[in-house]
Amino acid sequence: MKRFRLNLAPYLLILPSFIYLAVFFAWPMVRSLQLAFVRDSPILPVLSEPEDKADVVGHLEMQVDVAVVDRVKRDEVLPNGRTRPVYWFKIASETEDGDLVEGWVHQKNLFIKSRTESDTARVVSGEGAKEWTLDYVKRMVNDYRFREALQTTLLLIVLILPIQFVLAIIMALVLQSQLRGNSLFLYIYAIPLGISDLAAGLVWVTIFTQRGYLNTFLQQLGLIDQPYIFLSAQNRHWMIVAIVLAEVWRATSIVMVIVVSGLQAIPREYLEAGELFGASLWQRLRHITLPLLKPSLQVALILRTILAFQVFAVVVAITGGRVLTVLAYETYRWYDPGDSGFNNPNMAAAYAGFIMLISLAFAVFYLRTVRTQEEAARE
Amino acid sequence: MTTRALDPVQRRAIRRRQLNRAGVYALAILIALWILLPIWLIGTMAFSTRSDVYGFPKQMAPIPFTTDTMQFFINQPGILDGTRNSIVVAVLTLALSTLIAAPAGYAISRYVFVGRDAFRLSILAVRAFPIVILAVPLAVTFIEWGMFDKVYSVALMHTALTLPTTILVVSSVFASVPREFEEAAKVFGCNAYQAFMRVVLPLVLPGIAASAIFTFVMSWNEVFAATLLTIRNRTLPALILYQLNKSSLQFQYAGGFFMLVPSLIFIFFIRRYLFNMWGQITK
Repeated sequence: MKRFRLNLAPYLLILPSFIYLAVFFAWPMVRSLQLAFVRDSPILPVLSEPEDKADVVGHLEMQVDVAVVDRVKRDEVLPNGRTRPVYWFKIASETEDGDLVEGWVHQKNLFIKSRTESDTARVVSGEGAKEWTLDYVKRMVNDYRFREALQTTLLLIVLILPIQFVLAIIMALVLQSQLRGNSLFLYIYAIPLGISDLAAGLVWVTIFTQRGYLNTFLQQLGLIDQPYIFLSAQNRHWMIVAIVLAEVWRATSIVMVIVVSGLQAIPREYLEAGELFGASLWQRLRHITLPLLKPSLQVALILRTILAFQVFAVVVAITGGRVLTVLAYETYRWYDPGDSGFNNPNMAAAYAGFIMLISLAFAVFYLRTVRTQEEAARE
Repeated sequence: MTTRALDPVQRRAIRRRQLNRAGVYALAILIALWILLPIWLIGTMAFSTRSDVYGFPKQMAPIPFTTDTMQFFINQPGILDGTRNSIVVAVLTLALSTLIAAPAGYAISRYVFVGRDAFRLSILAVRAFPIVILAVPLAVTFIEWGMFDKVYSVALMHTALTLPTTILVVSSVFASVPREFEEAAKVFGCNAYQAFMRVVLPLVLPGIAASAIFTFVMSWNEVFAATLLTIRNRTLPALILYQLNKSSLQFQYAGGFFMLVPSLIFIFFIRRYLFNMWGQITK
């Protein structure tokens, strides 16, 4: 009888990668949830009366500009027994959700130029930190760019993936037919694997830009008299076309590689048998190759969908991120501390979390659909 | 002539085969053009004169040929530093990722142990996770740890991104070396270490090198996380992305071409290993 002995060697071998992924993958995931659902910066309670113990009528975030509606002067007793004059301000402002907040706040919480004269101020301090909140998620969903970003991202997926899969299967079949120069074709077809999304976007800018190659071709064909401006705010559909082409051009190779791997696993005898029984090329493809290729296609579909939800640099290169927006660009825009961004990691984390959620949902959906089909076929 | 001996049916069959063959060739070449033509066009722009870059209609080849546009791009402030940062990040990523992944890949391919499938599965899941999700919290964490805007912190991020792929690829490379080779070496008097160094390592080295090159390319190309993690020490793609809105066409074309050149070279070296790399994931 073989004695069971726990071999430690494999555990020691996987330990480094385990630790690495725990620190640089699992922890950031937890941190991401924290950012999206925990409020860390203080908020300022707005009171119904100019007194510390008054009721809270609303809250304001830091750095919000407020209008000063009214002010009262009070004497405040200091710890050493003396008194000093302090002001309470009745302020009015809108929260990020658009609700009106009006009430009293102490002067220490505001930055105000002149206590007696200024009619605007800015919230600079508050109280409390670390509490669960859905504010960021609500604010994300209510943001008008959120819907636009989601729609554009989904539209791109619906347009790109079918073209990509048909093209990838064709490319894989061409490679499988063992032409002379096969190795050269493989190299050429694989080149886009190493091309970054940013470079791919720029490549297609040379084609779609006003003085670009597409206009050159169209003019040489006599279809247009002068260059047409494809990439302009009025031509969103042309921007979509350019992004779709760039993504199909760049990201089809990965699908092709997965499909080729799948094709290689199909026994030759199956196809030969099909040919022997007089099945046409299309029939063999439809009834032998594609069904056997399903697991590979499923993996490729999940991978490509998840990647498609992150489409980013291509969009920035082609649209400048201004006319069209996608989910990943919104994440970047909220995070970016530069002049075009909002420097708000919480909102960025909310977007990132949403991308994760929707990617997972699609992955589960694909896995479910294929399984049910198999089960249905078995019955 | 042998064809005279064929009956018409056979002749028709052969002709149809040849036609099919020609059709497949035409298709193959068409697809190759679809991929190569855009690269040729941006290459043309990158080596055209300034007036040709802005001119219309566009020319199909860089005549007159000039390196002015490329030089203009390279001499822009920050480009050389950005290129250096990108190379440093990619080399660090490659080294870290390969060093950490190799033992794990070996363990997965050679040992049967409790939790092996769970580990494999979680690696696959991690592999599929979007970098967009990881980048934001990591950037915040790095700020808290005082590691923000450092070249090495981008490399740490990229390693988290590439590690799962590298583990899977390395394990498939090890799996392609039969266990018997190792055992034979032990029979002939090698200890476990010698058997690994003298027999297994030489056989897996090309595959691991290919995976390392792929890691390099992935890191060289990555833009989203690099943009979030750096301000002054930007990598090349992050720098180009950041300057995109305020940059000239010359900058964009030359920059785009400059970024895709490594892919042309590196994919050539690893093309035979691509299916090793990705075949694994479908199993």
